[in-house]
Amino acid sequence: MEKVKVKICCGTSCFVMGAAQIQVLEFAPPADIADKIEIEEARCMNHCKDTTAKYNRGPFVMVNDELIEEANFEKVVNKIREILNQEK
Amino acid sequence: MSNSLFIDIGSYQKQKDGEDCFGDTIYSKKIPEERRVISILSDGLGSGVKANILSSMTTRMAMKFMEDNTDLLRSSEIMMDALPICQIRKISYATFSIVDSELEGKTRIFEMDNPRYIFIRNNKSLAIKGREFSSPKWKDRSISVSQMTTQPEDRIILMSDGVTQAGLGNKRYPLGWGRQGCIDFVLSELEKDPHISSQNLAQKIVEEALSKEIDKKAGDDISCVSIYFRTPRKLLVLTGPPFDEDKDKEIADMVAEYDGKIAICGGTTSNIIERELCLKCEVDKSSFDTEIPMASTMEGVDLVTEGILTLTDAYRMLKEGIDRKPNVASVRLVNLLLGSDRIDFVVGTKINVAHQDPSLPMELEIRRNIVKKIFRLLQSQYLKEISVRYL
Ligand code: FES
Repeated sequence: MEKVKVKICCGTSCFVMGAAQIQVLEFAPPADIADKIEIEEARCMNHCKDTTAKYNRGPFVMVNDELIEEANFEKVVNKIREILNQEK
Repeated sequence: MSNSLFIDIGSYQKQKDGEDCFGDTIYSKKIPEERRVISILSDGLGSGVKANILSSMTTRMAMKFMEDNTDLLRSSEIMMDALPICQIRKISYATFSIVDSELEGKTRIFEMDNPRYIFIRNNKSLAIKGREFSSPKWKDRSISVSQMTTQPEDRIILMSDGVTQAGLGNKRYPLGWGRQGCIDFVLSELEKDPHISSQNLAQKIVEEALSKEIDKKAGDDISCVSIYFRTPRKLLVLTGPPFDEDKDKEIADMVAEYDGKIAICGGTTSNIIERELCLKCEVDKSSFDTEIPMASTMEGVDLVTEGILTLTDAYRMLKEGIDRKPNVASVRLVNLLLGSDRIDFVVGTKINVAHQDPSLPMELEIRRNIVKKIFRLLQSQYLKEISVRYL
C-alpha cells in the first residue's frame, strides 16, 4: 500500500500560525498511522500570498493532493485516517 | 574587495586585590575611514581610583593625539605636562603602550615604561629594535618606537607590569613571572590552539599571571591586550527575494562566486537559489525546534534557514546570549556570524504580503529593519566589518 504523503508548510507565516505543532506528526505520530505516512517539510507554497482570500488561512498542509487550510494536528490526522480507510 | 588584514583585538584585566576599580586602562578603536586600528594600554601610578584617573586621562589624550596624527614627542610632552606629578617620585606617572595598525600591514608601536610588547610570528617571539626618543623637558623618560609590516597570523601582546611582576616575592618567582615566562606561556598556548581568539588569549595570560601570585591575589593591576592579525573570515548572508525579479540571477551568481562562507535566510530566497543554480535543498531534521523553523542543507552553502523568525531570534541571542540547542537554525546562524570577521549582507526588499496579515498571532519584523538591527549590533558590540546591499 502506498504511503500517504503529508506536506507541511514551514514557511514563516504558516509556522507562526501553528505549523510546528503539526510537525509533531514526524517525531511522535499516532501509532495507527505511524508507518503509513511520509512527511515532507516544505517552504512557502505561496498559498499564504493569495490575495483573494481576505485573511491568512494557514497553516497549509497537503495530504496527498488535498490542501488543508487552517490545519492543525487533529485535522491532518483525521484526513490521513479518512484516506487510509477509503483505501481499505 | 581588497585582501587586507583583519585585526582581532581582545583584552582582559584584573584589578589589584582589594581595589574597586582598575588602575590600568585599555582603550581600542577602529577608524574605518582610514582602515586603521589603535589600541592603547596605560598603567597609572599606584592603584585604585587615583591610578584609574591617571591612566584613563593618558589613554584618552593619547587616543586623541594618535587620531589626529600629532607628532608623538610633542604629544607625550603635553601628556606629561598635563598629568599631576607624584610628590615623592617627582614624575607625572602613567606609562603607556600604543599600537597603531593599518589594515594594509604597517604597524607602529609606541611605548613608555611599560614592559616591552611581545611580537609573535611563525610561533617565535621576535625582538624588533625600536628607536628611543626623549624630550629635553622630561629627560628621565624615553619613548621607544618600533615599526613592522604585519602579516596574517602575526600577534602582538601588550601587558602592564602586573603581568611580568606577577608572583613577585613568591618563592618560585622571586623576581616575578617575567616577560620571558609570559612569552613561553603564550607560545605553548598557541601550539595547543594556533587560531585562539584574542579575547581568549588575553584572558588566559591574565589568569596565568594571577595563578603565580601569592594566594592568587593580584599584587598589582594585571592587564593584557592581545592583537591577532589574520586574513578575514568572510560570510555572505543572503536574505529576502529581490524587489525586482530580474535580479534573481544576480543574487544566484553572488552565491556561486563568493569566496567565503554563505548563509541563506529565507524560504523564497532559497527557492530562488535552488532554481537558479540547480541545487538540491533538503530539510535537516536534527534542527527541529518548536519555535524556530528547521534549517536545510544545500550543496556549497553553509546554512539555509527560514527568514524573519530565525533572524529575529538570532538578534535576540546576539544580545542576550545563546539559549537554545546547538543544532537549531538560529543558533547556527549566530555562530556563523560570530565566527566571521567580515560579513556581507545582501538584502532583498520585496515585501512579503502574507507577513502583514493582521490575523497572524504575532507581529513579524520587516526584513530590512531586523537586518539593520543585527548588523548594527555586530558592528558596535562585536567590532565586525559589515557591508550591506539592498536589492
Ligand atoms: S508560508 Fe505556508 S504557504 Fe506561505
